[in-house]
Amino acid sequence: MTVLQRVRRDSFYYIIFAPAFLVIVFLTIYPVLSVLINSLFDYNFLSADKELIGFENFVKIIGEAIFQRAFLNTVIFSLVATTAEATLGLILALLFYGRFAGKRATMTAVIFPMMLSTMVICAIWKTMYHHDIGVLNYLIGVLGMEPVGWLTNKRVALFSVMIVDIWQWTPFAFIIIQAGLNSVPPELFEAAGIDGAGYFRTLVHVTIPVLFSQILMVFLLRTIDTFRVFDKVYALTQGGPGNATETVSYFVYREGFSFFNIGRASAASVYVLLVISIIAGAYIRRILKQEV
Amino acid sequence: MRRVMIFTVLALLIVPSMLYARGQSEPEGPEMVTLTIAGRDGAYGDAMQLAADAYSAQNPNVSFEILKLSGSSLLEQTVVDLGSGTGTYDLLMIDDPNAPRMMQAGWLADLDKLYAARGESPDPDLIANVLQLGRHPYGPDGTLYALPHVGNVELFAYRRDLAEKYGHSSAQTWSDVLAAAKDIAAGEPDVTPILFRGSKGNPIVTGFLPIYWAFGAEILVDGRPAFDTPQALNALNFFLELAAYAPEGVSMYQSAQVRDALYSGAAAIVIEVWPGWIGQLENPEVSSVVGKVSVANHPGQVEASSSLIGVWLLGIPKDSENIDTAFDFLQFITSAEVQRDIAMETGIPPTRVSVHQDAALIDKYPWYPPQLAGLQGGVARPRTDYWGEIETAFGGFLQQALIGDLTAEEALAEIQKKVEEIVR
Repeated sequence: MTVLQRVRRDSFYYIIFAPAFLVIVFLTIYPVLSVLINSLFDYNFLSADKELIGFENFVKIIGEAIFQRAFLNTVIFSLVATTAEATLGLILALLFYGRFAGKRATMTAVIFPMMLSTMVICAIWKTMYHHDIGVLNYLIGVLGMEPVGWLTNKRVALFSVMIVDIWQWTPFAFIIIQAGLNSVPPELFEAAGIDGAGYFRTLVHVTIPVLFSQILMVFLLRTIDTFRVFDKVYALTQGGPGNATETVSYFVYREGFSFFNIGRASAASVYVLLVISIIAGAYIRRILKQEV
Repeated sequence: MRRVMIFTVLALLIVPSMLYARGQSEPEGPEMVTLTIAGRDGAYGDAMQLAADAYSAQNPNVSFEILKLSGSSLLEQTVVDLGSGTGTYDLLMIDDPNAPRMMQAGWLADLDKLYAARGESPDPDLIANVLQLGRHPYGPDGTLYALPHVGNVELFAYRRDLAEKYGHSSAQTWSDVLAAAKDIAAGEPDVTPILFRGSKGNPIVTGFLPIYWAFGAEILVDGRPAFDTPQALNALNFFLELAAYAPEGVSMYQSAQVRDALYSGAAAIVIEVWPGWIGQLENPEVSSVVGKVSVANHPGQVEASSSLIGVWLLGIPKDSENIDTAFDFLQFITSAEVQRDIAMETGIPPTRVSVHQDAALIDKYPWYPPQLAGLQGGVARPRTDYWGEIETAFGGFLQQALIGDLTAEEALAEIQKKVEEIVR
């Protein structure tokens, strides 16, 4: 069969695929290409000055202490928050496995944080974290301990932001893992029990391996999301105190929307894109291997 | 077929009738105009709404769409719109440090030409020192691109009752302020002696600048950064000494915390207050310190008092389709009568001399005389295209010094290095 014959044969598929392809090109490929191109320019939106400088933005940014700190904070945030969310999500899924009275109401309460707007959540937590009037320091005071500068202590602030993320997104991990758990035939666990495996042995050797794809999916989605963390930093700390909660997305925001340095913001975005692509690629490869 | 014919006949009858009726019902008169204003939220938004409603009452053909945005959102949205020349907005609120870039980029309509077309000129009642912030190049001879709408100037507030109690009722210098803070700290354990906004970036820089200038330090000299001077070091060392009397966590304080502490009487000396924050200070329903707080110009040190001007300007995008109406409204909202109403209703500070001298307003806002003095003699932030970056670098390292990550020398060296890179 010649190429022309093959094209003629597949033309129907090309035609029905074309609108979707055009949408993808417009919404995904064009913006990414635009960011890649802008990253090669010294481009300020305010002055409209645009000069081709090659990879200078990349070299400059990576040498800056603030970007290095932002990158390190982002990696720490992503690792800790994702691991905590997946672990807590798994624990919750196991707790909610089976039937018990009040399950529906409890589940609704558990997934409630995920349904709230991030800005609302941040407003609530900011009040709870308040040094003088916050409920957390009140409880600590009742226990006779010194108040903590949840958002003001440079050693604590990043973890305070993480706690908010974990609180909001653990329900998401819970839902994904629970869906996986519910799709497993109960006979599998019964068989393990008949073979003499206790709860923890069943958990380690049966449950977790069976749920591996779901757990991996949670890691993939949450890693990508936490690596882009911006809203919580913006609402809670604005990167402070000092640079304690500076993240790469906040760096990009400031460069792009406070200084309008589109070239530098694009270069920093490309770094984020690269890291997320590598992480996502590794996860997806693993997930595909599982499916095979 | 019959149905198609019926629909066609109906359509032929109804559509021309509707068009005719529309033509008949439209009253003869001036064209309807909707002015879209990109403005601020909070009391600024209330003030804009008040003026818009009053203008619409006089000009029923003009309606308003007012966007009440936070400071950062306002800048983002307006810059993107102005840069793309879509003419979405007819009037913009502009924070004065952002004005030079917008004027330099040629995004705003030339108000001198609009005045000339009407055979008018800017009213000399507008405070001259503030009016020139809307000119480019900066100074009395620059072209006018924006009019001053909100007469914000940084002021200094202190609990008069406590100052008198500890014998510090006439603090003339920053050293006097430090001495007062020490005495209040020793005698009033429930009161915060010193308060300011310590959040990184604009807040901490704004709080620090009156001290920085009073110690004789400067930001830019001939366009080059000047943070590596003995004056700058003295100023920062003094600021850190003063900050020792600020509350735990001051490094994350924003205006809400400062305002709350001032209104509740929890703070003795607030080194940075803005007129927009203190509009209700003498209202007993809101304030616990009615008649107890003095609002004044900043103390001096090596140099005389140096208050920071932070005026909000109003400009018309050159791509607006309603420039004439927008200019008419601009003159209306900056008129003495409307400024007086706005000040009385919302506490937003005026930009006219005569309104500052209004007896009823002075009665309500006793700090109007120092406010006027601050606007007439205060210092604006450097007129540079890079102020945003400079302020961020300045405020970032300054906060690192505040929380003990850097010494004063290290912080200033870092600021100097970063600002050199920025202005290069």
